[in-house]
Amino acid sequence: MKLSLSFFVVGVLLVLLQTTFLHLFPVGPVVPDLILVLCVYWGLYHPTVGAALGSFLLGYSVDVVSSPILGLNAFAMSLVFLAVYLSSRSIWLHHPVVSSIVVLMASLVKGAALILVWTVFLSVDGFWTGAIRYILMEALVAAVLAPLVFALLRRGQAYLEEIRVTA
Amino acid sequence: MLAFLRKNQILLSSCFCLLLSLYILTAAARGQLKNDPIGPMLLWIMRPLQIAAQSTMNWIQDIQDSYSMLTGYKSENEKLRKRIQQLEIERNQLLEAEATNQRLQQLLEFRSRLPSGSVTASVIADSASSWFKSCLLDKGSADGVRKGMAVVTPLGVVGQVVAVTGRTAKVLLLTDANSGVDVLVQRTRARGIVSGSLDNGTTLKYVKRSEDIQEGDRLVTSGLDGIFPKGIMVGTVIKVRKQTLGLFQYIEIMPAVSLTRTEEVLIVRADANQQKN
Repeated sequence: MKLSLSFFVVGVLLVLLQTTFLHLFPVGPVVPDLILVLCVYWGLYHPTVGAALGSFLLGYSVDVVSSPILGLNAFAMSLVFLAVYLSSRSIWLHHPVVSSIVVLMASLVKGAALILVWTVFLSVDGFWTGAIRYILMEALVAAVLAPLVFALLRRGQAYLEEIRVTA
Repeated sequence: MLAFLRKNQILLSSCFCLLLSLYILTAAARGQLKNDPIGPMLLWIMRPLQIAAQSTMNWIQDIQDSYSMLTGYKSENEKLRKRIQQLEIERNQLLEAEATNQRLQQLLEFRSRLPSGSVTASVIADSASSWFKSCLLDKGSADGVRKGMAVVTPLGVVGQVVAVTGRTAKVLLLTDANSGVDVLVQRTRARGIVSGSLDNGTTLKYVKRSEDIQEGDRLVTSGLDGIFPKGIMVGTVIKVRKQTLGLFQYIEIMPAVSLTRTEEVLIVRADANQQKN
């Protein structure tokens, strides 16, 4: 419970980072999607009901803060968590490059989900052309950052578990 | 049933979240989402944090902007400084060119009044010894300069050529102790010889005690020495002393030409008739 709460706090902090500080370091037109990386991490290393709800809530908070329609990112993040969770049984991660690949795939899944939902619910003309470039860039940036974020999250998780064991 | 739920709780909760988000999406797209309890709560949690983060970010951005502005100012300042230096050099060159132009124009005007065949020359060196008052000109025998020719400027007499090489000419200045120029006092037409000295400056010699000479009197060349054309300014009387003994007065003069500041001169060919004399 304590770990899930800590993860949620980290998630809120990442939303904060993504809506403020990360805009100082934009990579082209995209801002690094750290929330996606966290959801992938949850799907791989911390697959719990709390993590599933956390993914939904983080996506929802992104919607609340910046999406034109509620539920868009909540759906995408929940889908990412589910996809990573389902595939985690056949993925054995012990190399940073693999984590990058998983995040890249997850980011593409998220992009595809967003396009799907966007097309169904918002139907904006000429959305496809810009979206594909955007999705690819976002996926690449997230993939590049993934090993670092994973390492930090793992260290944090190990620290919290150590505290729990000693307590 | 309970075991199935427990076994697939993550899968089921994920599916539930997916369905919930789809429901929210549909409701939001249709405009039916009136009461959203989660959104305001999330915003309530995040608002103070976001305000703090945003103000920190603004602060960082301000520093970033100030820094880039400062570096911009710095490089602009550097550019402007260089430009000022460049303009200062150009301005000096222009001022110098203008001054030279004026001097040369005066020389040309003056030259037209002198006997034909005058040579314009520039001073290229001053005397190397304090015992002698002389200078070196950049024109010599190859340019038609001969020993004994007069050296003048529009302001007055400079001296006399005493030695010539192919490309240079040495001029003995009016202020040298060995020089001598036959002059007339413009007001009274009294004659005398202007010569320099080592201790008393430039003096007018051999003027009788009976002659009326006053301070401020102007001296011009008499033209009788066969070197200087007649009527060229030589100097102004600044001190007159009639001694108790002797035939002549002691008269100190101020040369018309500041010889240390002369840059361009005219070397005047002696008039043919005068040369014969």
